[in-house]
Formats: sequence, structure tokens, C-alpha cells
Amino acid sequence: MKSLKVLVIDDESVICGACDLVLTEKGHTVDYCKTGKTGLIAIERGTYDVILLDMKLPDIDGMEVLKSVREKMPAPYMIVMTGYSTMSNAVQAMKLGAADYLSKPFTDDELIEAVEKACAQQ
Amino acid sequence: MTSSTKFESYFHVLRDVIRAMHSITNLQEVLDIVVTKTSGALDAKGALLRILNKETNQFEVRAACGLGERYLAKGPVTTETVLSTLSELDKVYIITDIWNAPRVEYPQATWDEGVRMMVDMPLAIDEPIGLIRIYFTEQREFSDDEVDFIKTVAMHCACVIERVQIMESQQSKFSHLAAQMDKLSSLGRMAAGIAHEINNPLAGILLYSSNLSKKVPPGGLLEEGLKIIVKETQRCKTIIQGLLEFARDRKPQRALVNINDIMESALGIVENEFHLRHVRVKKQLDKVVEKVYLDENQVEQVFINILLNALQAVEDKGIVTVQTVVDLEHKKIHIEISDNGCGISPDDMKRIFEPFFSTKANGTGLGLAVSYGIVENHHGDIHLFSEPGKGTRFIIEFPFLVDNSIGKGGA
Repeated sequence: MKSLKVLVIDDESVICGACDLVLTEKGHTVDYCKTGKTGLIAIERGTYDVILLDMKLPDIDGMEVLKSVREKMPAPYMIVMTGYSTMSNAVQAMKLGAADYLSKPFTDDELIEAVEKACAQQ
Repeated sequence: MTSSTKFESYFHVLRDVIRAMHSITNLQEVLDIVVTKTSGALDAKGALLRILNKETNQFEVRAACGLGERYLAKGPVTTETVLSTLSELDKVYIITDIWNAPRVEYPQATWDEGVRMMVDMPLAIDEPIGLIRIYFTEQREFSDDEVDFIKTVAMHCACVIERVQIMESQQSKFSHLAAQMDKLSSLGRMAAGIAHEINNPLAGILLYSSNLSKKVPPGGLLEEGLKIIVKETQRCKTIIQGLLEFARDRKPQRALVNINDIMESALGIVENEFHLRHVRVKKQLDKVVEKVYLDENQVEQVFINILLNALQAVEDKGIVTVQTVVDLEHKKIHIEISDNGCGISPDDMKRIFEPFFSTKANGTGLGLAVSYGIVENHHGDIHLFSEPGKGTRFIIEFPFLVDNSIGKGGA
């Protein structure tokens, strides 16, 4: 498995820490941001393979982040995370360019599977 | 008093009673008019009006005039005595022997009050609802006109009482229902908010516990404990999904469907569980195929919820009966799911559609609450009949909708 550069955008430290732990153990490198704005700056500066994006952020809506990222070339592989797991939410996120969807809470295996699918896509 | 002036005074009393009846804002006003005016017109000492309280089965004094405090302070009358002697509901009872009449509960007190004669007139519409008693200080004869007069007043009075009682019971039913609906929707909103907030901490718990469970020595207590944490956290997730599902605005996505197909599909989903418990399903599906606009998935969910409840209620080898009837005359589809299981206690019946109310150890208490909402959104009705130890019967009715215009908003 190729090592992936992952960015987690979530305002909950515990979730950032947990994703970091799980993915680092699998040989991936993880950075994290706690707001939408810092997340967008990080995406602009870095070259991430995968972005794990929470839909509910303290400053800007996850959907807004998706819209901004969509215009970036090459577009990173976006995985949306949300506690509000409704189908319409998922569909909307996918329409805005998200590649996958994780509904909170999820297990380490579910997280790894979703992130590593990015490799298969690329 | 001459007979013509007497007639006039009766007429005035009746007029006052009827006028009060039609302008009633409260029943008390009418009852007060009935006792005072009737007593006055008959030159009586006073009168007393009792109404039967159906809940306590006691005759309660609701209006009185011309009687002393001490007499009124006497205890309640024995309901049985009053009822047993009310064999003829339209008959006026004249009591001349106060000491020996079985209808007189407190003869000494009555005598001390100066009463020598009484007239009882039942207030009744098919069944007794009250009694007017008129008190006289001396014995006398009653003309047919007087008896007619008493009967007429009693008849009008009974009508008012009944009307007010019906109104009050409707009002209390309505306000109960309104409060119930209010509770349902606020609980739903609250549930959605809580569910959202809780998913974040749960995500932390699930990620760490699932990750840790792979790092501890296999087969040990630590692994077992961590796996339990993982499993229970996933259970929380399921419960929360149920809550969110419940709180969601469920607009039916209607399409023309055959109710029997939906029932067959629901039965297919629960088939295995029924088979495992040796519970038999008796199907009585109407052969008339009338397609109606329904949200197939939502209605199927309702059927599954009720079928699973029925399965829970019956013993092994129990019977669950499903029936569909197409009522072309009333343009309705009628679905019945009944079981011969343990039934529902009257206390539980009152709360059965409340969210989070469950009698099952692992129940979320959302199945029937969601079902209720779905049927409501389809402009249908859901009724429940149950007798502990005998079984439960759910009846759902959906109206035929001629087009898809209602509830199309969610599409």
C-alpha cells in the first residue's frame, strides 16, 4: 500500500487524534486542522492525497469547503464525515465532488477502508 | 294563586330555563335557574339538583336553594338506592312518608329542616344522569299540570347537562391529543439535536476502542471488554439513526401501488424471524386490486414494525393474522394486523405511540411512534384494540388519493 498524505478537518481534537493514530499506524502521514478556513489554507499549500472533512465546522460549512476545493487542480480525494447521516446529505456532498462518505461514529477498519480506496481510484 | 297565573308562572320558568340553555357559557347558571325557579313556581321550600358523576358513580349536589347549611352538609346519597328506584325514568316520585320511604337517606335531618313532603324527578336521557328533588313544608296534592311542568323542566335540564358533558369530554379529548402531538414534535426536535451532538464523542470512542482491540493480547479480558465497547457503541449509532429517522420530516414519496404487494414484501422481510419462532401468519388479502398512491417504503416500514411487535407479543406457535380490504364505497384501504398474544395493558395503551416508550428490553421506543407519523402523513388512521391475555389488533386505514398532488413536496 502506497503511503498517503491525509488531512483531517474536524473541530473535535479526539477525532483528529484518533484518525491520526489509526492512519499513521497504517503508514500514512496525517495533518489536521480544526476550522474550515485553516483547512482550506492547508489544502492550498500542501499536496494531500485524501481529505477527511467534517460537515459541521465552527466557522464555515463543510459544503462550502467542498465547493472551494472542487475548483482546485488536481482535486484531492474528499471523504466527508458527519454525525448527521441522512441520505440527502450524502447525495448533496457527492454532487459537490466528495468521493466517499463516513457517517459518525465509524470503526478504524471503516476509516482505513475509505481512505485506502483513494489509492485504487488514483 | 289562580290557575291562570300559575300557568303563567310555569311558562316564565320554562322560558327562563330555555333562555339560559341557549345562552349558556356555564352549566352552573342553568342549574341554579332550574332549582330556584322551579322551587318558586311550585311554592316549594327549596330544591336540590344532583348529577351523577360517571367516574365516581356518585350523585353530587350541583345546585340547591331554600335549604339550610346543616342539611346540605349531610353526606352523599347512596347511588345504588337512587338508581334502583329510578326504574321509570320519566316518572315523578312523590314522597309523603319521609320516615319510611327508602329514597330518603336522612329522615331526621329532613324532618328537622321542616320538610314534610318531597318530589323527585329523575334527569335522564336514555339513562339516568341526575335527579331534582323538590322540598315542601306541608303535604299537598299535585295537579297533572304541575307534574307535567316538573317533567318538562327536568327534560330540558337533562338535555343541557348532556350537551355540556359531551362538549366537555370532546374538549378534554382534543386538548389531550393536542398536548400529545406537541410532545411528539418537541421530543423529535430534541432527539435530533442530541443525536447530532452525541455522534462526535461516539466517533472518538469507536475509533479508539476498535483500534485498541487489535493491540491487546487475543482472547484476554481486555480484548473482550474492548469488543463489548465497540459493539455497544455501534448499538448507540443504530439507536441514534432511529432517532434521526424519527425526527426527519417524512414527506411521503407516493406512487401508485398495490397494498397487497407491500404487505407481501413486508412479510417476506420478517418471514425468517416468524419461521424461527414457529409463528404462523394467516393471510386474508383482498382480491380486488385497486392501486393507490402510497409511499411504498414508508408503508412497508409501518407493516414491519407492527408485524415485529405482533411476533414479540405471541408465544411460540402463536398466530398473526394480516388482512387487507379494499373499501370501494368509502374509497379506503383497510389493513388489519392482529395477534393472539399477550395484549397491551390499558396503561401502556395510553403511551404506545409515544416516542421512546417501549416495553421491550432492547426497544428504542420509536417503531410505533414512526409508524404513527407515517400513517398521519398519508392522511390515514391508525387504531389499536387490545385485551391483556387475548391479543392485539392494529387497524390502519388509508384513503384513496385520486392523484399524486398531496405530499408530493418531498419528491
